[in-house]
Amino acid sequence: MEVEYVEDREDKIVFIIKNVPVALVNSIRRAIIGHVPTMAVDYINVYMNTSFLYDEMLAHRIGLIPLKADIDKYNFQDKCECGGEGCPNCQVSLRLNVEGPKTVYSGDFISDDPEVKPVYDNIPVVELYEGQQLMIEAVARLGTGKEHAKWKPVSICSYKIIPKIEISDCSLCKACVEACPRKILEIKGEKIVVNDILKCSMCMECVKVCEDNAIKVEETDNYLFTIESISMPAKEVLKRAINILKNKAVEMNEILKHINS
Amino acid sequence: MFPVRCFTCGAVIAHLWEEYKKKLAEGKSPKEALDELGIERYCCRRMFLTYKSIINEVARFKGAVG
Repeated sequence: MEVEYVEDREDKIVFIIKNVPVALVNSIRRAIIGHVPTMAVDYINVYMNTSFLYDEMLAHRIGLIPLKADIDKYNFQDKCECGGEGCPNCQVSLRLNVEGPKTVYSGDFISDDPEVKPVYDNIPVVELYEGQQLMIEAVARLGTGKEHAKWKPVSICSYKIIPKIEISDCSLCKACVEACPRKILEIKGEKIVVNDILKCSMCMECVKVCEDNAIKVEETDNYLFTIESISMPAKEVLKRAINILKNKAVEMNEILKHINS
Repeated sequence: MFPVRCFTCGAVIAHLWEEYKKKLAEGKSPKEALDELGIERYCCRRMFLTYKSIINEVARFKGAVG
């Protein structure tokens, strides 16, 4: 297995994995989407809401605000010592107390734990007009993406096959060059060359249009993986997902041993 | 109010909304503004293009009902 970074930013990574079965690549993807824990508001107490939005609407909007947090410091609520009642080890309160006229932003929340705070301070939550008031206590907890999409650590997390394009006995009719919707084929001298194989979507337009059947697009075991993260660096998301997968594999081995003995 | 996240891909977009509005007020086209903000995917782009603020419409009727 070989990994090669194509793009390497804090919030987005694109990399190529070579010679790996699809199942493994897909399990990494699923672990990232569904199993990496993040912090999000799950419960709100509304003491006062005279704004134009209903309480439920507010709860929904506040829930979607991504929170930055040190995840290792907190427990899952159902696995916490408090037995799911809620304690400082498994939840954080964010208080909001504002009066209109004013636009309420995510940065207006006052957190119990200064380390847990919204990733962006300028997400508009609700617009308050003259005389309107908002008094809310939002309770954030750890969760995973398989419970609700607001706990997903990523927005885009996908992979695609990097195909192999083979051209032989070509008559240089240029039909495939024109047919390719992503313009990755080009005539160079007496040959047709592939410009940027990573862009190929395997639409097979070039194969359909070729009269000599000279062009072949084949699947390989190489994949282009894209991760675009929200509340933590993309590399950390990947690392956590792989660790979770590893633990699951160990657990599976234990079960198998148990069955065999 | 402007959606916090893109309906389709789940990327956070609301923090760019005010900047986008400012860019439009400067006379830029939506395309230029979105390109400058780095919004690539068409799912996120349509969130900006098709959004219409309802809350100030509602505000006109404040005190009229109930």
